[in-house]
Amino acid sequence: MIRLPVTVFLAAVMLLGLVVGTPAHAAPPDEAESEDTGLHLLREAAIAGRTRGYSGTQYVTTWGRSGAVSSVLEVRNVPGRGLMMHSRPSDPVQMADPGTPAGGMTSPSEFMLEVLARNYRVVAAGRGHACGRPARLANVLRRDGTVAARYWLDEAGGLVLRRELLDGHGKVVHAGAFVDLTLDPARKGAVPVMTTGGFSLTEVPRLFAGGWHFPRALPGRLELFAAHNTSPGYLYLGYSDGLSVVSVFIQSGVLDEERLQGWHAEQRSGHTIWIRDSAGQETIWASGGHVYTVFADAPADMVDAAVAALPHEPVPDLWTRLGRGASRLLSWVNPFG
Amino acid sequence: MSHLGERVSALVDGELNHHERDRALSHLTFCADCRAEVDAVRALKSRLRSLDGPAMPADLTMSLLRMSEPGGPIPPRERPFPAPRTFAGAPIPSMHSVAPPDNRPRGRAGGPRRSRRAGYVAVGVASAAVAIGTLFVVGGANPNPRVVPPIDMFANQHGNTAPFGGSAQPTLSPTP
Repeated sequence: MIRLPVTVFLAAVMLLGLVVGTPAHAAPPDEAESEDTGLHLLREAAIAGRTRGYSGTQYVTTWGRSGAVSSVLEVRNVPGRGLMMHSRPSDPVQMADPGTPAGGMTSPSEFMLEVLARNYRVVAAGRGHACGRPARLANVLRRDGTVAARYWLDEAGGLVLRRELLDGHGKVVHAGAFVDLTLDPARKGAVPVMTTGGFSLTEVPRLFAGGWHFPRALPGRLELFAAHNTSPGYLYLGYSDGLSVVSVFIQSGVLDEERLQGWHAEQRSGHTIWIRDSAGQETIWASGGHVYTVFADAPADMVDAAVAALPHEPVPDLWTRLGRGASRLLSWVNPFG
Repeated sequence: MSHLGERVSALVDGELNHHERDRALSHLTFCADCRAEVDAVRALKSRLRSLDGPAMPADLTMSLLRMSEPGGPIPPRERPFPAPRTFAGAPIPSMHSVAPPDNRPRGRAGGPRRSRRAGYVAVGVASAAVAIGTLFVVGGANPNPRVVPPIDMFANQHGNTAPFGGSAQPTLSPTP
């Protein structure tokens, strides 16, 4: 009589535990978060990049088609005012957002970090030193385990001390690092706020209705995050995988190749593209009555794949041109046309 | 009066005048020979009139028709005299070497049909070239304007756009 209720009680407790432990009633585990052991480091760095005041010297090197191009930047960040930078004391000061390529992309939005976590795995990689300061390391890994980016994050202030991008072969293609850094005292009472961010695709339906055709994704897990043609004369498309950024500008017209000063033609998979020797990945080509211009802060292999995925209509041959001429003549003489 | 002689035919044909005809008829009243000859001539002429015209050979007709065509061949003109003798390629004048001037049109003498066909081909080729050229020009006239990308402006927008930064438009900084 006594042992039965105890058994029933234990069974009920076990059953309740099973029910409560069922995934349908529990919060789904964030596998990306559980694997991305270094994602919180990047989040802290993004917040610090906007909320901490600092000044210093940055050394930025990009390995492009024509070799390495380096520049030295004097930077000064004042919370509430923004990031100011200039190459030489005599140069005018430029304002930049730390989440943009011009600002080093050290303070991405929360949305971009989510995209980064979706496409890569961010892991903590121990500790080290950069700019003479102790740092925590975070690696961004591709699905195949190769390193896509490395971060050195200041232990004291959380800032990105050094950031490197690597291509699929493990070669560093971009590096930005502080060679001198002075942190301002942390402001008391300041609430760190993460920039939410998001898409800027409200114009996409109108653009599609207006006859524009563009992909929502490009090879390399590049997702379309912005599409505008508010500026007269061209359409802007922004793609990113959470780590790199590719900008596509499309103009209606025929490329005036004679006025492309400093650019040279190159054959790529049977198509002619125009490139120039510069630090960035810059490409121009014409296709189907439009001129495409691509700027990218991304490894060359990723940019090449993205460029190849965009339209490359061949130049019309003789028969196509004659057929088009015949169609136009018929349309001119057709009274019902 | 002597016999009618050559006037028999003229009498039969009615070509003698009134006086000569009376004299010829009065002669026939007593000359049996001339009457017989007049009768024979009349019979011959009557028989000739009753005959059909001579049939022309078919090859001769075709040859004549070809000669009448615009591009038809003209038979070579036979020289009435033998070819002149030459010395070292130069003709030697002789008594029979002076031939009447050949004033036939030169264009027809060396293959007029071939030259006409070549003319047709030339006109056709020219017409085709004009047609193809028209289609080529009309088909190649691209209405789109020739543009050069504003590189600095695009680079500025690219550098100042935060990926997944939301709907905020990038703030373009002055191009250095």
